[in-house]
Amino acid sequence: MQPTATISRLKAAGAPPRLSGFAQWADRHFKWLLVAPAVLLILALSVYPLLFSLVVSFINYDFQVPGHAFVGLKNFERVVFDPVARWSLWLTAWLSGISVAIEFVLGLLVALTMVRSFPGRGVIMSILIVPLFISPVIVGQAWTLLLQRPFGPTNYILTQLLGQEVTIGWMTESPWLYFSLIIADVWQWTPFMFVILLAGLTAIPPNLYEAAELDGVNAWQAFWAITLPHLAPMMLLALTFRLLDAIRMFDTIFIMTGGGPGTRTYTASYYLYTVGFTQFHLSQATAGSWLFLIFTALVVMLLVRRLLKTEPV
Amino acid sequence: MAAVAPVRRPKRRSIPVGRILLLGFFLVFVLWPLYWMFNTSIKPSDDYLTVPPVWFPTAPTLVHYEAALFAYRGLDGLINSLIISLSATVLSALFGTLMAYSLARYNTGGQHLSFWVLSQRFLPPIGIVLPVFLIYRGVGLYDTHIGLIIAYTVFTLPVSVWMMFAYFRGMPKSMEEAALVDGCTRWEAFWRVAVPLAAPGIVAAAVFAFIACWTEFFFALILTSRSAFTLPTVFRAFIGFQGAQYGEAAALAIVSLVPSIALGVLAQRHLVRGLTLGAVRG
Repeated sequence: MQPTATISRLKAAGAPPRLSGFAQWADRHFKWLLVAPAVLLILALSVYPLLFSLVVSFINYDFQVPGHAFVGLKNFERVVFDPVARWSLWLTAWLSGISVAIEFVLGLLVALTMVRSFPGRGVIMSILIVPLFISPVIVGQAWTLLLQRPFGPTNYILTQLLGQEVTIGWMTESPWLYFSLIIADVWQWTPFMFVILLAGLTAIPPNLYEAAELDGVNAWQAFWAITLPHLAPMMLLALTFRLLDAIRMFDTIFIMTGGGPGTRTYTASYYLYTVGFTQFHLSQATAGSWLFLIFTALVVMLLVRRLLKTEPV
Repeated sequence: MAAVAPVRRPKRRSIPVGRILLLGFFLVFVLWPLYWMFNTSIKPSDDYLTVPPVWFPTAPTLVHYEAALFAYRGLDGLINSLIISLSATVLSALFGTLMAYSLARYNTGGQHLSFWVLSQRFLPPIGIVLPVFLIYRGVGLYDTHIGLIIAYTVFTLPVSVWMMFAYFRGMPKSMEEAALVDGCTRWEAFWRVAVPLAAPGIVAAAVFAFIACWTEFFFALILTSRSAFTLPTVFRAFIGFQGAQYGEAAALAIVSLVPSIALGVLAQRHLVRGLTLGAVRG
């Protein structure tokens, strides 16, 4: 290290580095000065807005109604008694639940096929992670191109495969549009599960399997006795991270269904967005987002507490 | 992935048909939407609605790219996205590294401070974006580059801080301690000794911050409109289209996914750390 060397030379010459008053002060408070920019930014753009929104949720802040009168819990009432709000929370829960479950199983299966080395593994790896680097908006767009009638080739392919005319409105007909939203999410985020679970799988010492094989344990038993317990902390981590992102689901809905038909595909985020930015009931939307925040915090406490107990790494 | 070294286990004799089929199926599943999007982007509009569909365009054309970039202002979005993502990435990597070093070496604020930063990662954006929108309108940051740069810096900070936090904790302290003993100030020990050693980690954190900014939609949708709009928000123009703009949407998608995929694949060694905020060493 060059500067160190310079300073030691200075020292040897009997000239200890002298610091100005400011530099001394800065050196003493060094650790706090380092965290200051990040902390101040988060305070300004996350904590302050949250407090501000808490205020907004108790007053009238509506572009259609003048003035900012204190209205108590009225904004919260509006959300709680709105059937669309309750539907959107319910939809968010099961849509993210199903998506994450499929991603988990599929990701685990693919990870298991990739544990051993084989020719072409590196290239396949690079291809499989590609969806992680694509904007969800584009993912929604890509699946729209595939599914939307009459342009998308999906109905044609199904017609050929099944031998009978298939004319499904993938973005408009009731069970199918959920399927479309789930498949877009699964396409994008299965690699997430896969990458984390693969890291977990490769960390399991291979001699455990060798020992098991010597003891005459078959592959299925080895999976239950060795793989699963060793992988459990990673599984919990992957599920936690993924679930906390899945409940924010917004972008693909915005592009693929626009919440429609009617309000059938309103997720919590989409509902709050429309209340705030197309109906301009801003105080109702902030009240709703606080309720959603509390709901998320409960999920976080449940999952992250567990996670910290198991402590992967 | 290079970092996750393949484990060699005693080979079994049979050919793993099930595995090959599963992997093959999944590869097709991943590649098919990308191929179809590319195919659509170079297909003449006349080929859109043919039965059977045109699987391989015989007369590829670039008209959709031209329309997407100019008529739909895709190029403006691209430039805005570059300015905003690059600026936010630099700020996030810089402030993230500063904070992470302090947390890792001086245990600043104990566990509380680091977990407070982590908790920001799990806040639903809808809870933040509504009040930020109101504040931005009040202070004139709405629909400005600076406004979105600040928002993106804050929104990528938890990941930058935690990735670098894990990186510094995994780095031996001895070099910095030697520098301090030699009479360096703490700042010199950090800036001239620790930062150069941590450079690969900083680059990786920056790459993930860039990808997060480049692909972000929700903040951009709400905090910008006509002047600071980013590339993902340009796709609003294609919603509910009736056939006329398939090619344009696909072309714009291809243009915008190239940079982030290229960076992501280059940084794939650090992917596990990036996805788990440093919790798992890939």
